[in-house]
Amino acid sequence: MSDAAGLEAWRPDYESWADYAKPLFPQGKAKEAFGKYPWYQTATDPFVKLDKPIGEARFGLVTTGGYSIDGEQEPMRGYPSFGDEVPQIRRIPVDVDRSKLVINHPGYDHQYAKEDINANLPFDRLGELVADGTIGSIATETIVLMGLQPNVAPLIEETIPEIVAAFKADDVDAALLVPS
Amino acid sequence: MSLIARGLEAAGIPTALVSVLPPLSSAARPPRQVIRRLNIGATVGRPHDVQGQRETLTRMIDLIEGADGHGAVDKDAKPDG
Repeated sequence: MSDAAGLEAWRPDYESWADYAKPLFPQGKAKEAFGKYPWYQTATDPFVKLDKPIGEARFGLVTTGGYSIDGEQEPMRGYPSFGDEVPQIRRIPVDVDRSKLVINHPGYDHQYAKEDINANLPFDRLGELVADGTIGSIATETIVLMGLQPNVAPLIEETIPEIVAAFKADDVDAALLVPS
Repeated sequence: MSLIARGLEAAGIPTALVSVLPPLSSAARPPRQVIRRLNIGATVGRPHDVQGQRETLTRMIDLIEGADGHGAVDKDAKPDG
């Protein structure tokens, strides 16, 4: 089944769930709501192996930490997103002026990242892994999203292809995914 | 995030996810995940815990290097006691 057909089949279950879940989120009952969430499944489970040694591979980083660059990028919006709005991404250069990074995500405790950004945006640790030869290099830009996007249709149809294109354009060989 | 992992993998880019909420991450069937006993917002490691942060990343990298098939999991052991 194609993604388009699979998502069409999934949508009625999702819409029933969204009607049930929407009132629960403001009550802090997201966990309870996700207990009944209709997880989208595909017919096959994609899996590919890395085709080169780790020490030669270029790694991309994806985070749902909801970061944006103050004064240069629009703040991220859309949390939680139940509708058909397309989940946004922000591209954060690894050499960004960290004093300009802001977290627009209201759904987690920012204190950890304020103490040490490597807690959920591990630029320094990845830089060390490159420096000591463990990995080859890291992507020029980290891809940032917001978490909690229960309507996966626009994510699958539009946002994920945008992430794939960004990584392919930067010759990324493998990706590390860090949710927040 | 598991769906993003699946999308990247389908496009030929191997992935590893770190999860601190395995009931949620596992339900969407990510190709590879490292399950750690850490907090949301500090999913790589506690602030200034350089070794712990590095451990998370190297375990993710090891899983990309070594996993033989979909659904590979590297999970923190339960604490003693």
